[in-house]
Amino acid sequence: MAVTPLAATEVARADAARAARAMRARHRREVIVQTTVAAIIALIFFSPIVYWFLVSVKPLPYTMTWPPVIFSEPIFDWYQVVILGMDPTIGAKTGVIYSGAAGDYYVIPSLVNSVVIGVLSTIISISLATPSAYALSRFQFRIRNNLITWILSTRMMPPVVAMFPLFWLYTQADQRLFSAIFGKGTSVLYDSLLGVLLVHVVVNLPLSTLLLKSFFDDIPTDLDEAAMVDGCTRWQAFTKVIWHYALPGMAAAAILAFITSWNEFLLTLTVTRTQFRTVPVFGSTFDVSAAGTEWGALAAVSTTAMVPVFIFVLIVQRNLVRGLTMGAIKG
Amino acid sequence: MTESGARKRRPPFWSSERPWIWLLPIIVLLFVYSVYPFIFNVVISFHRFDPMTKAFRWNFPNNWIDLLTNADFLKSFRTTFIFGGAALLTELVLGIAIALAFDRNQVKLRSLWQSLFILPMVVPPVISGLMFRFLQNADYGIVSNILYALNVIDRTEPLIGGTGRNVLLGLLIVDVWQWTPFVALIVLAGLKAMPHEPIEAAIVDGANRWQLFWEIKLPLLRNVLAVVILFRIVDLLRLFDYVAIMTSGGPGGNSETISHFAYRMHKSIEWGMVSVVGIVVLILAIIITNAYMRLFKVKF
Repeated sequence: MAVTPLAATEVARADAARAARAMRARHRREVIVQTTVAAIIALIFFSPIVYWFLVSVKPLPYTMTWPPVIFSEPIFDWYQVVILGMDPTIGAKTGVIYSGAAGDYYVIPSLVNSVVIGVLSTIISISLATPSAYALSRFQFRIRNNLITWILSTRMMPPVVAMFPLFWLYTQADQRLFSAIFGKGTSVLYDSLLGVLLVHVVVNLPLSTLLLKSFFDDIPTDLDEAAMVDGCTRWQAFTKVIWHYALPGMAAAAILAFITSWNEFLLTLTVTRTQFRTVPVFGSTFDVSAAGTEWGALAAVSTTAMVPVFIFVLIVQRNLVRGLTMGAIKG
Repeated sequence: MTESGARKRRPPFWSSERPWIWLLPIIVLLFVYSVYPFIFNVVISFHRFDPMTKAFRWNFPNNWIDLLTNADFLKSFRTTFIFGGAALLTELVLGIAIALAFDRNQVKLRSLWQSLFILPMVVPPVISGLMFRFLQNADYGIVSNILYALNVIDRTEPLIGGTGRNVLLGLLIVDVWQWTPFVALIVLAGLKAMPHEPIEAAIVDGANRWQLFWEIKLPLLRNVLAVVILFRIVDLLRLFDYVAIMTSGGPGGNSETISHFAYRMHKSIEWGMVSVVGIVVLILAIIITNAYMRLFKVKF
């Protein structure tokens, strides 16, 4: 429509108005269609979590039926069992059937273990990885690329490779070495905080180092040189100036390290027996193939274990992409 | 004069001008995690643990022959690759499609939908295993019943149980549920970082959405996809958690992966065997990832 406002006839003006209305309608239709598609995708992926949460607030008979009773009057007996470690018979009135012993489903000790191990291993691996990442980013030396490849390959290595060697190292060191030093029966590594911590730190180190290296690569070397011209040694340049610029990277690496530690299963399972079990190891102790599975208790355990990480992730979402790809993609 | 002399001299070994001090802690720790296990595995793989005397006996080359002719191991090998291929393909197609859907510019409340969508990714895999064990229950599981209604499977052969014909489908559903958000999130980051000019030029030239995707966006996503696929390959090669929680490798060994086979050997004190599997898996992982990274020029 090549109509200038001055020369506009009545007809042309009406045409323009119709066209504008049609465009607005199309725009509205686009908004509705695109938003609906996004919402449906999100709900498909989120609904299993909601469904599983609802199991934790239902009496057991309602969970084992088809068609399902999706909503019922909520009961919190399962949470009393898993969070307060209460005697399960309290649920008799609401129809909770429970065959296990008191404390079987008490999740708090392993939740505490998971949080303590997650936080400590994150702090340790980030503080070890940051100087290493700086060195890999700044120094040019002969085997630099081989070193990077080696660090990367430890991330690519399936943990079953280290499973038995670590188990053997832990049990033998305890039996032969530490028993001789600290008295018979002491376990310093196997089934101990130190042992689990060590595993989580080594699992996280390659990840954190390579991710942080990608952040240091983005910091101009002029900054180091300026600091060193002002009389700093390399180490002082790092501790006084450069690492402040890498803080976003350290945050991203910390998020990733914490999530990895929270989810780690195979190696923690191998190096623990009864003490220092993290939530995944605790979750694996239940026999879910038997007919008498207490789904309500398991759902309550799961919900208790998921909610802290969900809150954490929703807060830090922005840093996630770069972390998940170890810096290969800048999100 | 002294200054220029100092500059010419190599800094002393312990100086922070030399990289070793910086890298020492990580080298020591990663030595414990990778070099020691490798050497240990090589040595133990020639031995057999005797539970009676609690000692390792020289057993070369029987461990290797036993493993490479072990029907369970060969089956777990095949399962890992079949399952891995199917999961990778499904997650890639779904992930790209979902990323494109989220990338349209008229989506309202985008950050809400995106937040809900990525949550499966941070559920501990053990917990997802428990959850889907319930959702896939043969009688009252909602996923099973939906699949019955769609005639994908029938009640004589449920997802978990029966003769185990559909057990890999059951595991596939969990893996796809948990890791499609990972693929989509990273592809989405790639789409966001994409230059506008080629896309606008293509629209001016009259390209439709289909052509726009295949001829402009997909080639531009090449590097992002290379990284995503690498990470999925690494994780699928080590698949263990779902199998351990949901099926213990059964029924009939139909869902056993390499990692679960190694764990089962570890539990039954066949430690020589565990080490052989360890070496095989390590070599496999190194070959696959190195070849892949060379082929697609993935850089860290």
